[in-house]
Amino acid sequence: MPPVAETYSLGVPVEVSKIDEELKKLWQESESAATRASLVNLAVYSEDAGSLSKNTQLMANITENHACRAIVIEADCDAKENHVEAWISAHCHVSGVGSKQVCSEQISFLLKGGCTDLLPSIVFSHLDSDLPFYLWWQREFREPMDPQLWAWVDRVIYDSQGWEDFRAQMSLLESAEQEANQRIVLCDLNWTRLDSFRFALAQFFDHPASHHNFAKINKLRIDFAPGFRSTAVLFAGWLAAQLSWQSDKTNVPNKFSFASSSGGKIEVELRERLGQPIGEVAMQTSDIEFLVTHAECGDLLEVSRGKPGGKRTPQLMPAEKNDPVSLMSEELMRGGPHHVYLHAVERVRDLL
Amino acid sequence: MNRAADQPEPNPLREGLSARAVPQPCTIVIFGATGDLTHRKLVPALYNLAADGELPLAVEIVGFARRPKTDDEFRSDLEEATRKFSRQSVRDEIWKNFAQSIFYHQSEFEDESGYKALAKRLDEIDKSHGTRGNRLFYFAASPDQFEPILKNLKNAGLNQTCKGSWARVIIEKPFGSDLASARELNSVVRNSFTEEQTYRIDHFLGKETAQNILVLRFANAIFAPLWNTHYIDHVQITAAETLGVEGRAGYYETAGALRDMVQNHLLQLLCLTAMEPPTDLSADSIRDEKVKVVRSLRRWSHNAIATEVVRGQYAKGAINGEPVVGYRQEKNVNPDSQTETFVALRLYIDTWRWAEVPIYMRVGKRLPKSATDISIHFKKAPAVLFNKDSHDLNVLVIRIQPDEGISLRIHAKVPGTSFRIEPVKMDFHYGTSFGKASPEAYERLLLDAMSGDATLFARRDEVEEAWSFIDPIEEAWHAKKNAPELFFYPAGSWGPEAADDLLARDGRSWRRL
Repeated sequence: MPPVAETYSLGVPVEVSKIDEELKKLWQESESAATRASLVNLAVYSEDAGSLSKNTQLMANITENHACRAIVIEADCDAKENHVEAWISAHCHVSGVGSKQVCSEQISFLLKGGCTDLLPSIVFSHLDSDLPFYLWWQREFREPMDPQLWAWVDRVIYDSQGWEDFRAQMSLLESAEQEANQRIVLCDLNWTRLDSFRFALAQFFDHPASHHNFAKINKLRIDFAPGFRSTAVLFAGWLAAQLSWQSDKTNVPNKFSFASSSGGKIEVELRERLGQPIGEVAMQTSDIEFLVTHAECGDLLEVSRGKPGGKRTPQLMPAEKNDPVSLMSEELMRGGPHHVYLHAVERVRDLL
Repeated sequence: MNRAADQPEPNPLREGLSARAVPQPCTIVIFGATGDLTHRKLVPALYNLAADGELPLAVEIVGFARRPKTDDEFRSDLEEATRKFSRQSVRDEIWKNFAQSIFYHQSEFEDESGYKALAKRLDEIDKSHGTRGNRLFYFAASPDQFEPILKNLKNAGLNQTCKGSWARVIIEKPFGSDLASARELNSVVRNSFTEEQTYRIDHFLGKETAQNILVLRFANAIFAPLWNTHYIDHVQITAAETLGVEGRAGYYETAGALRDMVQNHLLQLLCLTAMEPPTDLSADSIRDEKVKVVRSLRRWSHNAIATEVVRGQYAKGAINGEPVVGYRQEKNVNPDSQTETFVALRLYIDTWRWAEVPIYMRVGKRLPKSATDISIHFKKAPAVLFNKDSHDLNVLVIRIQPDEGISLRIHAKVPGTSFRIEPVKMDFHYGTSFGKASPEAYERLLLDAMSGDATLFARRDEVEEAWSFIDPIEEAWHAKKNAPELFFYPAGSWGPEAADDLLARDGRSWRRL
């Protein structure tokens, strides 16, 4: 590849009408043996100034494990004149097998003015054919949601952690999905953030002999970091959906309860603590506590069960990392719909 | 692939988290715990599973061997080996936690009291670590030790389980050295464990591409209509390695390439390539179809073996420019050894699907490169418009190792004013397309055995059918009169000329690797 393509720069500036042509040249002029690889079209959309270079760096890291056609878009919707600038580049990594260079193409766009009108045409013209289209939307959704764009999207990726109004945002997404008449998979990075804690808690109940504890659960405590209350609520929603708990009315934001299918009450307490997005989860019956907490070294979880306050031997498990590259990598490893997420959201929509 | 019938009720909290069956807590007892396999493969595989969070909370490992050792000495040996052979680097905090689940049990394999003490220790582990009476016995010892181990396990009651728990046994190849010894071994195993409890491991089946053969064939509509005698000209299966016997001369002298590779690995790959679609993905449905392939292999007369099977032995030569000695000059090898280090065969599967489609197999040591792959050579398109002067066929290649992947060779027009046609290759590499590293075969297979999924393990009848195919070849080779010739080939070549002739007389040649 030309040296310019191997850095975090936006690459070669190109005319929008000549992107395909210039991409072809990029490969023809390659000096070293490299393989172009792509499993998915991954477009990232942001309206933050300077996001092009920040997202280029993210893509450079994401493509290390997920070969894709990256389309990075920064939009300045308030600009007075309509104007589009484009760049092409490639992210090349040495693959696990030998010393082969595997490269993902990136097309970057800076859109000025008329964002909503320009976006579908920009995206559609530059999709790698026959590959699924994932759209990573880095801001809050807003009206109007262009049905033409959403009809093409296979998976929309967002992070509900920063949403001010969860219900309004979900409602926009759901109506866009309906209008586009397309089954879009909703991928919430705030949900992905919970993977390792869900995995760790689930382990306690792999043996059928432990299933009787489900009916005895009476307390759930979740510690969350400032700004991550919605993450903790989603976790509670997941347990409620999977264990058929029904929500009780509540007036205290961080203390609420569920009713189990057998009529038992499950008291939930959310505690704000400095640290990881989810710092600790403790689920209790009258005589046993299931505890998942961050180990001192940070990227491991300690899982243990035993009498509350009693001595235990914790086991270590991998913990989720909270940076965008790790969350995206985890999300891109998945396929299929996120039914469990949707069920969890349903249970706690009013609490979010 | 499929959850076994005796698997428990699903855990509702697992939904959407993991597609694979979740193993239950258990104790893994490794017989031959101080050996190479334990150090190079088994414990590194278990460590990787633990580091990836794939093991259940309680998995304890008990090493059983003759040498006196404390738990701590054993842990320290394994740590050193795991740091050397693990797929991912060892993290101190994870190892420390993992090491707490490792124990050492010293006993002679023949000593009955050692097994009674083992039973007691396993009961204690069940109580203290919550392994619930589930036991996985891994036979990493030499095959001549299998019988006393099995007998003593039975006498100590370790083949029995309480209600709701299980005992399983994993046996490493070789599963016998001929049909009679395989039957004998199977009968010895059956005296202690049922077939459902027995897992015969063939690490080739744990490789990603081997598993992908079923996906390629049965999840892609484009291949199914072509996968038969009407469209396939022939099939080639190659397992080549640059290595010589590498300290395994003692075993290899009694085995040879036919028993060491063809009877198990290559026939397993053939089965996956040639089997009919199973009715479902359960272990027995898949194995039912695989065994039919071996059963349908055409058997040869003594005379036919000389023309259909080529055996060879490497002589001195060079690998990658480095001179290497011949097989007979290797340490611990008989200077007059007749052991084959290379085999090439032309097989036929006498079924409707594969009628008269030759399957060429070759396996050898000290070949120019290490590669295992399966290639499907499709019939030539009619030479009406194009292809009049070309003999190139469309070839689908399934690469098992290294560089796992799939490629398809098609014909394309060379740019220009004339119709010049050249073969081009469409290539899929696992390493390029999926960033995530494939787990080691042993990781997958150990997890499957813990989960009760026997799909990727060989069943008794598969093993016996394979031996019934192999035995006549061995008998012909070892006949006192008219034994087929043993050909010699220089190390670093693609085998004896007779192997090329095997295809040349059909107007074909080995695919260039």
